[in-house]
Amino acid sequence: MDAGIEDLLAAGRHARAFDLVVPAYKDRVFRLACSILKDRAAAEDATQETLVRVWKALPGFDGRAQLGTWIYAITRNTCLMELRRRRPMVSFDDPDSTEAQHAAASVASGPAADPERDNLLRLVETLPRNQQEAVRLFYLEDRSYEAVAEQLGMPLGTVKNLLHRARKRLMELARPDEVKAA
Amino acid sequence: MNDPTLIGPCADYEHELVELHDGELSPERARIVRLHVQQCLRCRSWAAEFAALDSRLAAELPRPALSPDFDSRLRGRLSTLAVPVARGELRSLIELEHDSLIESLRRATWRRGLLGAIGSAAATLGVLAAAKGLLAHSADWASLLGDGPERWVAMGTLGATIAVAALAWSAMRRGAMGLGWPR
Repeated sequence: MDAGIEDLLAAGRHARAFDLVVPAYKDRVFRLACSILKDRAAAEDATQETLVRVWKALPGFDGRAQLGTWIYAITRNTCLMELRRRRPMVSFDDPDSTEAQHAAASVASGPAADPERDNLLRLVETLPRNQQEAVRLFYLEDRSYEAVAEQLGMPLGTVKNLLHRARKRLMELARPDEVKAA
Repeated sequence: MNDPTLIGPCADYEHELVELHDGELSPERARIVRLHVQQCLRCRSWAAEFAALDSRLAAELPRPALSPDFDSRLRGRLSTLAVPVARGELRSLIELEHDSLIESLRRATWRRGLLGAIGSAAATLGVLAAAKGLLAHSADWASLLGDGPERWVAMGTLGATIAVAALAWSAMRRGAMGLGWPR
């Protein structure tokens, strides 16, 4: 698919190339935005913004990077700008921070409307941001390490390490209180 | 502390247990790790707990989808934007603008040189006319330039010298600007 798009770009047919970029990348861009922004509406807006930027910048794409790598970099920048715009906001990035400890405590003793699912989602919220992004994206991308590495722009080993630490931490947090206290 | 999952897996196998679960191990390493798991209660318990967590994450993490009108909204936004200009096209436009500027500078310099030459010739003619008037009223001056045709040859030579000097000055100015002759 990318080879066909890059051929069109080399021939100067940018509009036609963009017609192929949208169906090929919109869902992956959206999933990446979801993993970073953790909000469906914001992720959809970021996907729109990303594709508009891709449209504007496509004639300048020189093929030195892979098309996907280039598009995901634009996506990450768009999402980071959105996160900066949102400040101030409560951050659970640092698991040792007061906010993270408070969040972890509230997870353990919070209300239980749908206890299993709610607890798990709130546990994920207590992870450092880079681990959260990796975990969300890993399961959105059907457990593909390679897809996560490409979309987050990280080496494969880094992604494996992040996912290992994140899931190990989730296992510890998910144990019942009586087991933890034993 | 009797729960073996609380102790954790054997340190040498922890990462490989995860990779085995995710299907990332080579067949040979997978066989070795499976053999170990069969014999190790700690690793077996930890791997089972890990598999349970993995299943829950896969089932319970949100899997949002784009709105049905996503494409039409995107097209709407793009329709308000100008068609982007390719980098190569932009370069061509800049080069065209540069060539056009240089050409107009050359033409202006050529016009200025021509006007300078005409002005010099006019000034020479004026000087000659004035000299002729002076000569008509001064026999002493006239005697310096001879008499009859000889006087006119002397005056013509003087005028031509001034004109050539003016043209040379003009050409020198154009050459100093480094723009050459018009194409």
